[in-house]
Amino acid sequence: MKHHIKLRKPLMKQLKKSNVKGTIVQSQPLWVRIFHWGFTASLTIVILSGLQLHKPASFLALNFSKVLTAHIVFGWFSLGFLAIRIADSFIRRDDSLIPKIQDLRHFPQLMSYCFFLRSSPPPARKYNSGQLLIYFSWFVLFLLSSFLGLVSYWQGEHLIWVWRLIGGFQVLRWTKFITTIYFLATIPIHIYLSLTEDISRLQAMVTGYERKSPPNNR
Amino acid sequence: MLSRRDFLKLVVKGAILGNFYQLISPPLAEAVAAGEVKKLPVVMIETGTCTGDSISLDNIWTPTFSDILTNILDWRYDWTMNQVQGEAAYRILQDTYENMPNEYILIVQGSMIQRDAGHYNHVAYENGKLITGIELVRRIGLKAKYVVAIGSCATYGGPVSGYPNPTQSTGVQNILPERRVINVSGCPAHPDWIMGTLLHLALYGEPELEKFGRPKLFYGETVHNRCPRRKDYDQGIFATEIGQKECLFRVGCKGPVTYADCPIRRWNDRFNWPIGCNTPCIGCTEPGYPDLMSPFTAHLPDIPFPGGTKVNTDAIGLGVLGLTSIAITGHITTSLFKGRIQKNLLKTSVKAQHRPALKKVKTFHQYWPKKS
Repeated sequence: MKHHIKLRKPLMKQLKKSNVKGTIVQSQPLWVRIFHWGFTASLTIVILSGLQLHKPASFLALNFSKVLTAHIVFGWFSLGFLAIRIADSFIRRDDSLIPKIQDLRHFPQLMSYCFFLRSSPPPARKYNSGQLLIYFSWFVLFLLSSFLGLVSYWQGEHLIWVWRLIGGFQVLRWTKFITTIYFLATIPIHIYLSLTEDISRLQAMVTGYERKSPPNNR
Repeated sequence: MLSRRDFLKLVVKGAILGNFYQLISPPLAEAVAAGEVKKLPVVMIETGTCTGDSISLDNIWTPTFSDILTNILDWRYDWTMNQVQGEAAYRILQDTYENMPNEYILIVQGSMIQRDAGHYNHVAYENGKLITGIELVRRIGLKAKYVVAIGSCATYGGPVSGYPNPTQSTGVQNILPERRVINVSGCPAHPDWIMGTLLHLALYGEPELEKFGRPKLFYGETVHNRCPRRKDYDQGIFATEIGQKECLFRVGCKGPVTYADCPIRRWNDRFNWPIGCNTPCIGCTEPGYPDLMSPFTAHLPDIPFPGGTKVNTDAIGLGVLGLTSIAITGHITTSLFKGRIQKNLLKTSVKAQHRPALKKVKTFHQYWPKKS
Protein backbone atom coordinates (compact mmCIF):
# COMPACT_ATOMS: atom_id res chain seq x y z
CA MET A 1 0.00 0.00 0.00
CA LYS A 2 1.32 3.38 -0.88
CA HIS A 3 1.00 6.19 1.61
CA HIS A 4 1.05 9.80 0.62
CA ILE A 5 1.66 12.59 3.06
CA LYS A 6 0.17 15.79 1.88
CA LEU A 7 1.36 18.97 3.48
CA ARG A 8 0.34 22.47 2.69
CA LYS A 9 2.97 24.40 0.85
CA PRO A 10 3.40 27.28 3.34
CA LEU A 11 3.92 24.82 6.17
CA MET A 12 6.45 22.90 4.21
CA LYS A 13 8.26 26.11 3.43
CA GLN A 14 8.31 27.13 7.08
CA LEU A 15 9.63 23.80 8.19
CA LYS A 16 12.34 23.79 5.62
CA LYS A 17 13.37 27.29 6.50
CA SER A 18 13.60 26.51 10.19
CA ASN A 19 15.71 23.84 11.72
CA VAL A 20 14.09 24.28 15.09
CA LYS A 21 11.16 22.55 16.60
CA GLY A 22 8.91 24.85 18.59
CA THR A 23 9.18 28.60 19.00
CA ILE A 24 12.03 30.82 20.08
CA VAL A 25 11.29 33.23 22.89
CA GLN A 26 13.48 35.60 24.83
CA SER A 27 13.79 34.15 28.27
CA GLN A 28 16.72 35.84 30.00
CA PRO A 29 17.37 39.52 29.30
CA LEU A 30 20.93 40.81 29.13
CA TRP A 31 21.10 42.16 32.69
CA VAL A 32 19.88 38.87 34.12
CA ARG A 33 22.62 37.04 32.25
CA ILE A 34 25.23 39.56 33.39
CA PHE A 35 24.03 39.06 36.97
CA HIS A 36 24.00 35.27 36.68
CA TRP A 37 27.50 34.79 35.36
CA GLY A 38 29.04 37.69 37.31
CA PHE A 39 27.49 36.46 40.52
CA THR A 40 28.55 32.88 39.75
CA ALA A 41 32.18 33.86 39.30
CA SER A 42 32.28 36.20 42.31
CA LEU A 43 30.47 33.81 44.62
CA THR A 44 32.77 30.97 43.64
CA ILE A 45 35.78 33.05 44.67
CA VAL A 46 34.03 34.20 47.86
CA ILE A 47 33.21 30.61 48.87
CA LEU A 48 36.62 29.19 48.01
CA SER A 49 38.53 32.02 49.72
CA GLY A 50 36.19 31.75 52.73
CA LEU A 51 36.93 28.04 53.02
CA GLN A 52 40.64 28.77 52.73
CA LEU A 53 40.33 31.34 55.54
CA HIS A 54 38.35 28.85 57.61
CA LYS A 55 40.71 25.93 57.19
CA PRO A 56 43.89 26.84 55.35
CA ALA A 57 45.21 24.23 52.99
CA SER A 58 48.94 24.03 53.66
CA PHE A 59 49.78 22.76 50.18
CA LEU A 60 48.45 26.00 48.68
CA ALA A 61 50.64 28.19 50.95
CA LEU A 62 48.64 31.25 49.98
CA ASN A 63 49.31 34.65 51.45
CA PHE A 64 46.47 35.09 53.90
CA SER A 65 46.13 38.81 53.75
CA LYS A 66 45.68 38.45 49.97
CA VAL A 67 43.09 35.70 50.42
CA LEU A 68 41.20 37.92 52.84
CA THR A 69 41.42 40.83 50.41
CA ALA A 70 40.08 38.63 47.58
CA HIS A 71 37.29 37.40 49.86
CA ILE A 72 36.20 40.93 50.71
CA VAL A 73 36.62 42.39 47.20
CA PHE A 74 34.65 39.60 45.50
CA GLY A 75 32.06 39.79 48.27
CA TRP A 76 31.48 43.39 47.20
CA PHE A 77 31.38 42.34 43.54
CA SER A 78 28.74 39.72 44.34
CA LEU A 79 26.70 42.33 46.16
CA GLY A 80 27.03 44.63 43.15
CA PHE A 81 25.75 41.93 40.77
CA LEU A 82 22.92 41.18 43.14
CA ALA A 83 22.03 44.87 43.21
CA ILE A 84 21.89 44.81 39.38
CA ARG A 85 19.44 41.89 39.47
CA ILE A 86 17.24 43.56 42.07
CA ALA A 87 17.21 46.84 40.13
CA ASP A 88 16.41 44.95 36.92
CA SER A 89 13.49 43.20 38.64
CA PHE A 90 12.06 46.54 39.71
CA ILE A 91 12.50 48.09 36.27
CA ARG A 92 10.94 45.16 34.42
CA ARG A 93 8.46 44.51 37.22
CA ASP A 94 9.68 40.95 37.22
CA ASP A 95 8.44 38.84 40.10
CA SER A 96 9.48 35.52 38.62
CA LEU A 97 11.91 34.84 41.48
CA ILE A 98 9.50 35.55 44.31
CA PRO A 99 7.71 32.43 45.53
CA LYS A 100 3.94 32.72 45.72
CA ILE A 101 1.50 30.48 47.51
CA GLN A 102 0.12 29.02 44.27
CA ASP A 103 3.69 28.10 43.30
CA LEU A 104 4.26 26.30 46.56
CA ARG A 105 1.03 24.35 46.15
CA HIS A 106 2.72 22.42 43.37
CA PHE A 107 5.71 21.56 45.54
CA PRO A 108 4.47 18.07 46.57
CA GLN A 109 3.85 17.22 42.90
CA LEU A 110 7.30 18.45 42.03
CA MET A 111 8.77 16.23 44.71
CA SER A 112 6.79 13.29 43.27
CA TYR A 113 8.37 14.05 39.91
CA CYS A 114 11.85 14.25 41.46
CA PHE A 115 11.35 10.90 43.16
CA PHE A 116 10.09 9.32 39.90
CA LEU A 117 6.49 8.95 41.09
CA ARG A 118 5.24 11.18 38.25
CA SER A 119 6.34 11.19 34.67
CA SER A 120 6.15 14.94 34.08
CA PRO A 121 6.72 17.99 36.26
CA PRO A 122 3.70 20.01 37.43
CA PRO A 123 2.82 23.22 35.57
CA ALA A 124 4.79 26.24 36.73
CA ARG A 125 5.46 29.87 35.97
CA LYS A 126 8.91 30.70 34.70
CA TYR A 127 10.50 28.69 37.53
CA ASN A 128 9.07 25.73 39.40
CA SER A 129 8.46 25.74 43.14
CA GLY A 130 11.75 23.99 43.97
CA GLN A 131 13.75 26.47 41.92
CA LEU A 132 11.90 29.37 43.52
CA LEU A 133 12.60 28.12 47.03
CA ILE A 134 16.29 27.60 46.35
CA TYR A 135 16.85 30.84 44.41
CA PHE A 136 14.95 32.94 46.92
CA SER A 137 16.80 31.34 49.85
CA TRP A 138 20.10 32.15 48.10
CA PHE A 139 19.15 35.80 47.85
CA VAL A 140 18.17 35.98 51.51
CA LEU A 141 21.13 33.98 52.80
CA PHE A 142 23.65 35.81 50.67
CA LEU A 143 22.40 39.14 52.00
CA LEU A 144 22.52 37.76 55.57
CA SER A 145 26.04 36.43 55.08
CA SER A 146 27.22 39.69 53.58
CA PHE A 147 25.78 41.56 56.53
CA LEU A 148 27.50 39.21 58.98
CA GLY A 149 30.66 39.59 56.94
CA LEU A 150 30.50 43.35 57.45
CA VAL A 151 29.92 42.82 61.16
CA SER A 152 33.01 40.62 61.43
CA TYR A 153 35.01 42.99 59.24
CA TRP A 154 34.28 45.90 61.56
CA GLN A 155 35.28 43.80 64.59
CA GLY A 156 32.73 45.30 66.93
CA GLU A 157 33.50 48.89 65.96
CA HIS A 158 30.09 49.17 64.36
CA LEU A 159 26.95 47.01 64.53
CA ILE A 160 27.79 45.85 68.04
CA TRP A 161 24.14 44.97 68.58
CA VAL A 162 24.48 42.18 66.01
CA TRP A 163 27.31 40.61 68.04
CA ARG A 164 25.19 40.75 71.14
CA LEU A 165 22.08 39.52 69.32
CA ILE A 166 23.65 36.41 67.88
CA GLY A 167 25.91 35.69 70.86
CA GLY A 168 29.44 36.69 69.91
CA PHE A 169 32.02 36.28 67.21
CA GLN A 170 32.19 32.49 67.32
CA VAL A 171 28.44 32.17 66.65
CA LEU A 172 28.84 34.67 63.82
CA ARG A 173 31.58 32.52 62.26
CA TRP A 174 29.45 29.43 62.78
CA THR A 175 26.43 31.06 61.06
CA LYS A 176 28.55 32.03 58.06
CA PHE A 177 30.00 28.54 57.88
CA ILE A 178 26.55 26.90 57.89
CA THR A 179 25.38 29.32 55.17
CA THR A 180 28.41 28.34 53.09
CA ILE A 181 27.56 24.67 53.52
CA TYR A 182 24.01 25.40 52.38
CA PHE A 183 25.34 27.09 49.24
CA LEU A 184 27.77 24.24 48.62
CA ALA A 185 24.99 21.68 49.01
CA THR A 186 22.45 23.43 46.76
CA ILE A 187 24.67 24.77 43.96
CA PRO A 188 25.57 21.27 42.67
CA ILE A 189 21.85 20.40 42.62
CA HIS A 190 21.22 23.55 40.56
CA ILE A 191 23.99 22.65 38.10
CA TYR A 192 22.87 19.04 37.85
CA LEU A 193 19.22 19.89 37.16
CA SER A 194 20.17 22.67 34.70
CA LEU A 195 22.13 20.15 32.66
CA THR A 196 19.63 17.31 32.76
CA GLU A 197 16.14 18.80 32.92
CA ASP A 198 15.89 21.48 30.24
CA ILE A 199 19.09 22.19 28.38
CA SER A 200 17.48 24.99 26.40
CA ARG A 201 17.10 26.89 29.69
CA LEU A 202 20.85 26.71 30.10
CA GLN A 203 21.24 27.94 26.54
CA ALA A 204 18.96 30.84 27.40
CA MET A 205 21.35 31.87 30.17
CA VAL A 206 24.04 32.30 27.48
CA THR A 207 22.15 33.53 24.40
CA GLY A 208 19.09 34.90 26.13
CA TYR A 209 16.73 32.84 23.96
CA GLU A 210 14.91 29.70 24.85
CA ARG A 211 13.17 27.23 22.59
CA LYS A 212 9.67 26.42 23.75
CA SER A 213 7.93 23.35 22.48
CA PRO A 214 4.40 23.97 21.25
CA PRO A 215 1.87 22.39 23.60
CA ASN A 216 0.47 19.96 21.02
CA ASN A 217 3.92 18.77 20.15
CA ARG A 218 4.89 17.43 23.57
CA MET B 1 49.12 62.95 90.74
CA LEU B 2 49.36 61.14 87.42
CA SER B 3 47.06 62.34 84.66
CA ARG B 4 44.76 59.79 83.06
CA ARG B 5 46.75 59.98 79.84
CA ASP B 6 50.00 59.20 81.75
CA PHE B 7 48.23 56.34 83.48
CA LEU B 8 47.13 54.82 80.15
CA LYS B 9 50.70 55.19 78.85
CA LEU B 10 51.97 53.34 81.90
CA VAL B 11 49.48 50.54 81.28
CA VAL B 12 51.01 49.88 77.85
CA LYS B 13 54.59 50.59 78.93
CA GLY B 14 54.16 48.35 81.97
CA ALA B 15 52.80 45.58 79.76
CA ILE B 16 55.83 45.70 77.51
CA LEU B 17 58.41 46.07 80.25
CA GLY B 18 56.55 43.82 82.66
CA ASN B 19 56.76 46.22 85.58
CA PHE B 20 53.35 47.86 85.58
CA TYR B 21 53.08 48.02 89.37
CA GLN B 22 56.63 49.19 89.76
CA LEU B 23 55.82 52.11 87.49
CA ILE B 24 52.43 52.89 88.94
CA SER B 25 53.05 52.39 92.65
CA PRO B 26 55.36 55.29 93.61
CA PRO B 27 53.20 58.12 92.18
CA LEU B 28 50.11 56.42 93.49
CA ALA B 29 51.47 55.93 97.00
CA GLU B 30 52.54 59.60 96.99
CA ALA B 31 49.05 60.65 95.94
CA VAL B 32 47.53 58.50 98.68
CA ALA B 33 49.96 59.92 101.25
CA ALA B 34 49.19 63.48 100.13
CA GLY B 35 45.50 62.80 100.49
CA GLU B 36 44.82 63.38 96.78
CA VAL B 37 43.40 59.89 96.45
CA LYS B 38 41.35 58.16 99.06
CA LYS B 39 42.07 54.51 99.65
CA LEU B 40 39.09 52.77 98.12
CA PRO B 41 37.37 50.20 100.30
CA VAL B 42 37.06 46.89 98.49
CA VAL B 43 34.96 43.85 99.34
CA MET B 44 35.13 40.60 97.41
CA ILE B 45 32.38 38.02 97.32
CA GLU B 46 33.17 34.57 96.01
CA THR B 47 30.27 32.60 94.57
CA GLY B 48 30.51 29.62 92.17
CA THR B 49 34.27 29.73 91.74
CA CYS B 50 37.54 27.82 91.92
CA THR B 51 39.26 30.88 93.52
CA GLY B 52 41.59 30.97 90.53
CA ASP B 53 41.32 34.73 90.19
CA SER B 54 42.44 35.24 93.80
CA ILE B 55 45.44 33.02 93.14
CA SER B 56 46.14 34.96 89.94
CA LEU B 57 45.88 38.27 91.78
CA ASP B 58 48.19 36.99 94.48
CA ASN B 59 50.85 36.43 91.81
CA ILE B 60 51.53 40.13 91.41
CA TRP B 61 55.21 40.90 91.54
CA THR B 62 56.89 44.12 92.48
CA PRO B 63 55.21 45.41 94.46
CA THR B 64 53.64 42.46 96.13
CA PHE B 65 49.97 42.15 96.86
CA SER B 66 50.59 43.19 100.47
CA ASP B 67 52.17 46.47 99.27
CA ILE B 68 49.02 47.23 97.34
CA LEU B 69 46.81 46.41 100.31
CA THR B 70 48.91 48.61 102.57
CA ASN B 71 49.34 51.60 100.29
CA ILE B 72 46.66 51.78 97.67
CA LEU B 73 43.46 49.93 98.47
CA ASP B 74 41.51 49.24 101.62
CA TRP B 75 40.93 45.51 101.12
CA ARG B 76 38.21 44.77 103.65
CA TYR B 77 36.54 41.46 102.96
CA ASP B 78 37.94 38.56 100.95
CA TRP B 79 37.68 34.89 101.93
CA THR B 80 41.13 34.04 100.66
CA MET B 81 42.85 37.00 102.33
CA ASN B 82 40.79 37.42 105.50
CA GLN B 83 42.72 37.50 108.76
CA VAL B 84 39.59 36.68 110.73
CA GLN B 85 36.86 34.16 110.09
CA GLY B 86 33.23 33.41 110.81
CA GLU B 87 30.99 36.08 112.25
CA ALA B 88 33.83 38.54 112.82
CA ALA B 89 34.69 38.50 109.14
CA TYR B 90 31.08 38.74 108.06
CA ARG B 91 30.59 41.71 110.40
CA ILE B 92 33.23 43.63 108.39
CA LEU B 93 31.20 43.09 105.26
CA GLN B 94 28.04 44.22 107.01
CA ASP B 95 29.79 47.32 108.42
CA THR B 96 31.06 48.27 104.98
CA TYR B 97 27.58 47.79 103.52
CA GLU B 98 25.87 49.83 106.22
CA ASN B 99 28.43 52.57 106.87
CA MET B 100 30.00 53.12 103.45
CA PRO B 101 27.16 53.11 100.91
CA ASN B 102 28.25 54.24 97.43
CA GLU B 103 31.87 54.30 98.56
CA TYR B 104 33.08 50.73 98.31
CA ILE B 105 33.92 48.59 95.30
CA LEU B 106 32.27 45.20 95.12
CA ILE B 107 34.38 42.55 93.41
CA VAL B 108 32.57 39.37 92.50
CA GLN B 109 34.45 36.21 91.71
CA GLY B 110 32.49 33.17 90.52
CA SER B 111 29.31 32.57 88.58
CA MET B 112 25.81 33.36 89.77
CA ILE B 113 24.11 30.06 90.47
CA GLN B 114 20.40 30.53 89.90
CA ARG B 115 18.85 27.07 90.03
CA ASP B 116 16.43 26.51 92.91
CA ALA B 117 16.68 30.18 93.91
CA GLY B 118 20.46 29.88 94.20
CA HIS B 119 20.45 27.34 97.03
CA TYR B 120 23.35 25.37 95.56
CA ASN B 121 25.62 28.24 96.51
CA HIS B 122 25.49 29.51 100.09
CA VAL B 123 27.99 32.23 100.90
CA ALA B 124 26.99 33.47 104.36
CA TYR B 125 25.09 32.60 107.49
CA GLU B 126 23.01 35.42 108.91
CA ASN B 127 20.52 35.30 111.76
CA GLY B 128 20.18 31.54 111.48
CA LYS B 129 19.55 31.71 107.76
CA LEU B 130 21.77 30.64 104.89
CA ILE B 131 22.36 33.45 102.39
CA THR B 132 22.72 32.55 98.73
CA GLY B 133 25.34 34.02 96.41
CA ILE B 134 22.83 35.83 94.18
CA GLU B 135 21.07 37.32 97.21
CA LEU B 136 24.27 38.68 98.75
CA VAL B 137 25.66 39.99 95.46
CA ARG B 138 22.41 41.79 94.71
CA ARG B 139 22.19 43.28 98.18
CA ILE B 140 25.81 44.47 98.39
CA GLY B 141 25.96 45.36 94.68
CA LEU B 142 23.02 47.76 94.75
CA LYS B 143 24.80 49.98 97.28
CA ALA B 144 28.32 49.72 95.82
CA LYS B 145 30.05 52.58 94.06
CA TYR B 146 31.34 50.20 91.41
CA VAL B 147 30.67 46.53 90.75
CA VAL B 148 33.55 44.63 89.21
CA ALA B 149 33.16 41.03 88.04
CA ILE B 150 36.48 39.21 87.74
CA GLY B 151 37.13 35.99 85.89
CA SER B 152 35.13 34.19 83.22
CA CYS B 153 32.58 32.81 85.68
CA ALA B 154 31.58 36.13 87.21
CA THR B 155 31.58 37.97 83.90
CA TYR B 156 29.73 35.62 81.56
CA GLY B 157 29.09 32.38 83.47
CA GLY B 158 32.33 30.68 82.42
CA PRO B 159 32.99 26.95 82.79
CA VAL B 160 30.35 26.70 85.54
CA SER B 161 27.67 27.64 83.00
CA GLY B 162 28.98 25.18 80.40
CA TYR B 163 26.51 22.97 78.55
CA PRO B 164 24.09 21.67 79.80
CA ASN B 165 24.44 24.17 82.65
CA PRO B 166 22.68 22.13 85.36
CA THR B 167 23.00 24.94 87.91
CA GLN B 168 21.62 27.61 85.53
CA SER B 169 24.67 29.74 86.18
CA THR B 170 25.17 33.14 84.64
CA GLY B 171 27.23 36.31 84.91
CA VAL B 172 26.82 39.10 87.45
CA GLN B 173 25.38 41.57 84.94
CA ASN B 174 22.36 39.32 84.42
CA ILE B 175 21.40 39.35 88.07
CA LEU B 176 22.22 43.04 88.54
CA PRO B 177 20.55 44.63 85.52
CA GLU B 178 20.13 47.93 87.39
CA ARG B 179 23.91 48.44 87.61
CA ARG B 180 26.63 48.68 85.03
CA VAL B 181 29.02 45.85 85.87
CA ILE B 182 32.66 46.23 84.86
CA ASN B 183 33.74 42.88 83.46
CA VAL B 184 37.35 41.80 83.89
CA SER B 185 37.15 38.47 82.12
CA GLY B 186 39.68 35.68 81.78
CA CYS B 187 40.18 32.21 83.15
CA PRO B 188 41.74 33.41 85.33
CA ALA B 189 41.85 37.17 84.88
CA HIS B 190 45.39 38.57 84.60
CA PRO B 191 46.50 40.33 87.83
CA ASP B 192 47.31 43.45 85.79
CA TRP B 193 43.77 43.53 84.41
CA ILE B 194 42.22 43.27 87.87
CA MET B 195 44.54 45.68 89.63
CA GLY B 196 44.76 48.06 86.67
CA THR B 197 40.97 48.34 86.60
CA LEU B 198 40.85 48.93 90.37
CA LEU B 199 43.55 51.61 90.12
CA HIS B 200 41.68 53.31 87.29
CA LEU B 201 38.54 53.29 89.43
CA ALA B 202 40.47 54.75 92.38
CA LEU B 203 42.14 57.46 90.33
CA TYR B 204 39.83 58.40 87.49
CA GLY B 205 36.55 56.55 87.94
CA GLU B 206 35.04 54.14 85.48
CA PRO B 207 37.30 53.24 82.54
CA GLU B 208 36.06 53.25 78.97
CA LEU B 209 34.34 49.94 78.39
CA GLU B 210 34.02 47.93 75.18
CA LYS B 211 31.05 46.04 73.77
CA PHE B 212 30.93 43.36 76.45
CA GLY B 213 31.55 45.69 79.40
CA ARG B 214 35.32 45.14 79.60
CA PRO B 215 37.87 47.95 80.03
CA LYS B 216 39.15 48.92 76.60
CA LEU B 217 42.64 49.54 77.92
CA PHE B 218 43.12 45.79 78.41
CA TYR B 219 40.59 44.27 75.99
CA GLY B 220 40.73 46.70 73.07
CA GLU B 221 42.48 44.46 70.50
CA THR B 222 42.31 40.84 69.46
CA VAL B 223 45.09 38.48 70.46
CA HIS B 224 45.51 37.76 66.73
CA ASN B 225 46.27 41.37 65.85
CA ARG B 226 49.11 41.61 68.34
CA CYS B 227 50.35 38.05 68.07
CA PRO B 228 54.08 37.67 67.34
CA ARG B 229 53.15 34.82 64.99
CA ARG B 230 50.84 37.01 62.90
CA LYS B 231 53.46 37.11 60.14
CA ASP B 232 53.19 33.31 59.84
CA TYR B 233 49.43 33.62 59.44
CA ASP B 234 49.80 36.29 56.78
CA GLN B 235 52.26 34.16 54.85
CA GLY B 236 50.22 30.97 55.23
CA ILE B 237 52.74 29.17 57.45
CA PHE B 238 50.79 27.01 59.87
CA ALA B 239 51.56 24.52 62.59
CA THR B 240 49.94 21.17 61.89
CA GLU B 241 50.26 19.97 65.46
CA ILE B 242 50.28 21.57 68.87
CA GLY B 243 53.85 22.17 70.01
CA GLN B 244 55.12 23.54 66.71
CA LYS B 245 56.49 27.03 66.41
CA GLU B 246 54.36 28.33 63.53
CA CYS B 247 50.95 30.03 63.60
CA LEU B 248 48.54 27.83 65.56
CA PHE B 249 45.40 28.88 63.64
CA ARG B 250 44.93 25.49 62.01
CA VAL B 251 45.06 23.70 65.33
CA GLY B 252 42.22 25.78 66.73
CA CYS B 253 43.80 29.00 68.03
CA LYS B 254 41.00 31.39 69.04
CA GLY B 255 43.24 34.47 68.83
CA PRO B 256 41.22 35.96 65.94
CA VAL B 257 38.04 36.05 68.04
CA THR B 258 39.54 36.83 71.45
CA TYR B 259 40.01 40.29 72.85
CA ALA B 260 42.88 40.58 75.36
CA ASP B 261 46.39 42.00 75.52
CA CYS B 262 48.07 38.69 76.41
CA PRO B 263 50.60 38.94 73.53
CA ILE B 264 52.20 42.06 74.97
CA ARG B 265 51.44 41.60 78.67
CA ARG B 266 52.05 37.85 78.90
CA TRP B 267 51.73 35.82 82.07
CA ASN B 268 53.69 34.69 85.13
CA ASP B 269 55.52 37.98 85.49
CA ARG B 270 55.70 38.28 81.70
CA PHE B 271 57.79 35.13 81.30
CA ASN B 272 55.47 33.33 78.94
CA TRP B 273 51.96 32.92 77.60
CA PRO B 274 50.01 30.09 75.89
CA ILE B 275 51.12 30.78 72.32
CA GLY B 276 54.66 31.35 73.58
CA CYS B 277 54.70 27.72 74.70
CA ASN B 278 53.13 26.55 71.41
CA THR B 279 49.57 25.88 72.53
CA PRO B 280 46.61 27.69 70.95
CA CYS B 281 44.74 30.52 72.62
CA ILE B 282 41.49 29.04 74.03
CA GLY B 283 39.57 32.33 74.05
CA CYS B 284 39.04 32.41 77.82
CA THR B 285 38.18 36.13 77.93
CA GLU B 286 35.23 35.90 75.56
CA PRO B 287 31.54 35.53 76.38
CA GLY B 288 30.39 31.98 75.72
CA TYR B 289 33.69 30.46 76.89
CA PRO B 290 34.15 27.48 77.10
CA ASP B 291 31.22 26.15 75.03
CA LEU B 292 31.76 28.44 72.06
CA MET B 293 35.51 27.83 72.13
CA SER B 294 35.56 24.08 72.52
CA PRO B 295 36.98 21.85 71.28
CA PHE B 296 40.07 23.97 71.78
CA THR B 297 41.78 22.30 68.86
CA ALA B 298 39.08 23.13 66.25
CA HIS B 299 38.03 26.45 64.76
CA LEU B 300 34.33 26.33 65.31
CA PRO B 301 32.42 25.09 68.34
CA ASP B 302 30.71 21.73 68.54
CA ILE B 303 26.94 21.79 68.17
CA PRO B 304 25.09 20.27 71.12
CA PHE B 305 22.14 18.03 70.26
CA PRO B 306 19.40 16.93 72.64
CA GLY B 307 20.60 14.00 74.71
CA GLY B 308 24.05 15.43 75.29
CA THR B 309 25.62 14.48 71.93
CA LYS B 310 27.98 17.05 70.49
CA VAL B 311 28.91 17.10 66.84
CA ASN B 312 31.86 18.89 65.31
CA THR B 313 30.87 21.69 62.92
CA ASP B 314 33.24 20.50 60.20
CA ALA B 315 31.73 17.02 60.46
CA ILE B 316 28.26 18.52 59.94
CA GLY B 317 29.50 20.36 56.86
CA LEU B 318 31.16 17.29 55.38
CA GLY B 319 28.09 15.19 56.22
CA VAL B 320 25.75 17.58 54.38
CA LEU B 321 28.04 17.70 51.33
CA GLY B 322 28.35 13.91 51.38
CA LEU B 323 24.57 13.49 51.47
CA THR B 324 24.18 15.91 48.56
CA SER B 325 26.74 13.98 46.52
CA ILE B 326 25.01 10.67 47.26
CA ALA B 327 21.60 12.17 46.39
CA ILE B 328 22.82 13.56 43.05
CA THR B 329 24.61 10.34 42.12
CA GLY B 330 21.52 8.31 43.00
CA HIS B 331 19.30 10.61 40.97
CA ILE B 332 21.56 10.49 37.92
CA THR B 333 21.63 6.69 38.05
CA THR B 334 17.85 6.39 38.39
CA SER B 335 17.26 9.01 35.67
CA LEU B 336 19.53 7.17 33.26
CA PHE B 337 17.87 3.86 34.11
CA LYS B 338 14.39 5.27 33.60
CA GLY B 339 15.43 7.17 30.49
CA ARG B 340 14.49 10.56 31.89
CA ILE B 341 17.76 12.26 31.06
CA GLN B 342 17.71 10.91 27.49
CA LYS B 343 14.08 11.98 27.06
CA ASN B 344 14.68 15.46 28.47
CA LEU B 345 17.74 16.02 26.33
CA LEU B 346 15.98 14.90 23.17
CA LYS B 347 12.95 17.00 23.98
CA THR B 348 14.82 20.16 24.82
CA SER B 349 17.73 20.07 22.39
CA VAL B 350 17.67 21.29 18.78
CA LYS B 351 17.28 18.78 15.98
CA ALA B 352 19.72 18.65 13.11
CA GLN B 353 19.16 20.88 10.11
CA HIS B 354 16.72 19.72 7.36
CA ARG B 355 15.22 17.16 9.71
CA PRO B 356 12.16 18.87 11.06
CA ALA B 357 10.20 16.72 13.43
CA LEU B 358 6.69 16.27 12.25
CA LYS B 359 3.74 14.73 13.80
CA LYS B 360 1.55 12.85 11.42
CA VAL B 361 -1.89 14.28 11.89
CA LYS B 362 -3.86 12.57 9.22
CA THR B 363 -3.06 10.06 6.58
CA PHE B 364 -4.78 10.25 3.27
CA HIS B 365 -5.30 7.04 1.42
CA GLN B 366 -6.03 7.09 -2.21
CA TYR B 367 -7.87 4.20 -3.73
CA TRP B 368 -7.89 3.46 -7.39
CA PRO B 369 -10.32 1.13 -9.14
CA LYS B 370 -8.80 -2.13 -10.22
CA LYS B 371 -8.23 -2.51 -13.83
CA SER B 372 -10.28 -5.37 -14.86
